[in-house]
This record gives sequence, structure tokens and C-alpha cells, in this order.
Amino acid sequence: MRLRPSTLPSHRRGSSGADRPVSEPAFPASFLLHVLTPDLGVVETRVLILNADPVFEDRALAILDENPALEIQIVRNLSETVSALLGENFDGLIIEGEGALALEQATHVRQHFPSLTIACLLYGRRQNEVEAIAREQNIELLPVSRSDRRLRASLTGFVRALDSNPGTAAEGIDPCHSLIGNLNQFSAAEILQMSCLSQRSGRFTFKSGRGNSEIYLQQGAVRHAVFGSLEGEAAVAEIFRWRQGRFYFEEGIISQEQTVNRPWAHLLIDNLQKLDETLELVSV
Amino acid sequence: MRDKKLETKLRLVGLQLDNWKRLHDLITYGLDKAKPIISSEQERQFTEIRGNLLQETEYILRELNIVAEVSGKAMSVLQRGVSIRGVRDLPSDEIRRLETDWNAAFTKLGLMQGQLKARRRELAEQSVFDYYWTQVRSRLFRRLASAH
Repeated sequence: MRLRPSTLPSHRRGSSGADRPVSEPAFPASFLLHVLTPDLGVVETRVLILNADPVFEDRALAILDENPALEIQIVRNLSETVSALLGENFDGLIIEGEGALALEQATHVRQHFPSLTIACLLYGRRQNEVEAIAREQNIELLPVSRSDRRLRASLTGFVRALDSNPGTAAEGIDPCHSLIGNLNQFSAAEILQMSCLSQRSGRFTFKSGRGNSEIYLQQGAVRHAVFGSLEGEAAVAEIFRWRQGRFYFEEGIISQEQTVNRPWAHLLIDNLQKLDETLELVSV
Repeated sequence: MRDKKLETKLRLVGLQLDNWKRLHDLITYGLDKAKPIISSEQERQFTEIRGNLLQETEYILRELNIVAEVSGKAMSVLQRGVSIRGVRDLPSDEIRRLETDWNAAFTKLGLMQGQLKARRRELAEQSVFDYYWTQVRSRLFRRLASAH
């Protein structure tokens, strides 16, 4: 947790962690500072909590409520979870519930959000099978003991890890490359046009000598694109010009970030026009 | 400073309001004659929200000390609104009563949420030391006043 003077503009940390202030020194005895000086603003960590019964099963929620640097949002089922994760940026997801069901829900979420930090609150004894699945899916298991102190320690540890985690996007755990090809044969525009027309959701990865870039689709619309420091439409425009390299498509991987807001048809027309203009310049 | 009980109340009132809003969305959909199709998924959502409210309302209202004011109206809404189709088939005076009762429950909960947020803001401006010093000072004054 980092403390910052309230005069500085506070910002929410994105899932990518790109806007995190790196060179800021951590204050010593930050806890005491926070308790005694309420005018200090705190950089918030945002956590989504999936709990089917948040009114009566609220031990973990009560503990998380104590942390002023933590903003929590509660959802009750999986569809609400996915909708919330699509709509907003969260640093982590905590799933609370009966062991096997919670792990199943976590596995579902993992398939769509590969870079999200997920933890499952595990009631009762740890089972080898559950642990193996959790390890495979990169899901953290937080044991729920009867003692509030232990539960507090494990939740605090998880939240601290979120704060120190650089949050770089990870490759899919179980990538399903439903389309692989070469940009010499099909241009990026052609491939994207085909995928958008068939209302696909997933991630395109383009690899060329210039570097790697990613375009995320959601139900036939471009949601997010990234190439180096470029994001959004600028990144799409750059990828449009590539004529060499490879690409593959992973179905079902959805970006939490949204940097492209225009429909695909608009993007296509604009970028083809730009490309024509560029080609005209070349011919001149 | 953060007060545990206040945070719990705020969480509970937030969850309750969220459910009342969703219930209202579905009731409004049911009453909209321009939308003739009610899907089984919508009915399922309605039942789930109604179930949550039936389970939690009494407990939350008691925690917020407003059980006497709101409980009757909340239960009236939940008893009248059996399903989206059921709401659509209600006579017009029953629909009006349903809307009035929903509004009464929602208004009280909204007010409560506002008051709790204002209290949280007040507390956030105080440090732990300030808070306890104010408490000690007021106790001292009370003792002095009673001694005289």
C-alpha cells in the first residue's frame, strides 16, 4: 500500500498496472501515518468479490471492509462477475463459497480473464485434487480457519500481493488457437473482417519483426488493441499495415480494458482509406 | 477513522438497495405492454431476487433499526409480486399499491444509505486520537455537569 498526499491527483490502478507510480518511495510506518493523519489519500486497490450469500456469510467481507485502501464490489453469481469484469477494471477477484463450486467458478473466470489475479476462499481441509487444479489454473487458495486472526492474515496477504503485483498480462493458461496463419497470405484487415462478421470473441496475437501486438474482439467488435506503447485505434491502424508475420486467434479471451469504442465497419473504412493514402504517397 | 459497524451497515444497505432496484427493473419490464415476451431467464432472475429479498430484508431492516417502518411495505411488495407474469396480470389498483409500497421501502433505504455515508465521511475526517479525545471530553463534561 502506498500513501500519497491528498493534494496529488489520486488515480485508480488499472489491471495492467501501467499507471502505477514506480519511483515513489514508501513511507516508513505507513500504518501509523494513516491512522493519525486522515488527510493523506491512499491509492485504492479494487477487488471484486463473488459471494452468493453476502448478508449471512460475511466474515471475509467484514475483514476486507476494515481496509480503507480497498474498494470492494460484491456480486452474487458468475454472470454478474463476468459482466462486472468486462465493465470495470479490478485488481483481483475473490470467490467465496463451497469448495468445489467456488473452484469451478474460478476456473470459468480464468478461461476468460487470463491475467486476472483470482483467489478462492477454501473452507475445511485442503485436498490434493483441489490444490492441483488451483495450481494449474493459477488460482490462489486462501484457507478459511475458525480464527479471525488467521483469516485476516491470509486476506491481508492477498491484498498486499495485489498491490505489489505488476499485473503483466499473462498468456492464456489453456490457449485454444482456433485460427493460425501467415500475414503474407491474409492481411490483418481480411482476418479481422472475417472474425468480426462471424461475431467472434477472443484475442488475436500478431507476431512480426516489429514486435507483438494484440487485438481483442468481443462479439464481432474490436474492444481493445495494443502494440508496444500504442493502444486503441492507433494500434489497430499500425497492425493494418503489416504484410509480414504470423497470427493466431484464441477464442474466448476477453480484455478487461476497452480502448476502442467505434464499430468495426468504421475502423475498417478509415484504416483502408489511410492505407490507400499511404499507398498513393508511395506511388507518388 | 473507520467504524466497523457502520461499514457493515453500509454494505448491507447497499446490497438491499441493489436487489430492490433489480426487482423494480423486472417489474417495470413486466408492466411494459410494448414488451410482450417474458423469458424464462427473466422469471428465474425475478425469483432469485425475490428469494434474496425474502431471506435478507427482515434481518437487514433490524440491523438498520427501521424494521417497524419498512417491513410491512417490503413484505407487501414481495407478496404481491409473485412473478413477472403475475405482476402483469395484477389489477390496476394493485399495481399502484405495489409501486407505492416499493417506493416507500426504496426511499427509506436510500435515506438511510445517505445518512450512513455522511457519518462515514465525518469519521474519515477524524483521526483515532481526535475521536477518543472528543469522547473523553464529552464524558468529563457530563460528569462535571452531574456533580454540580
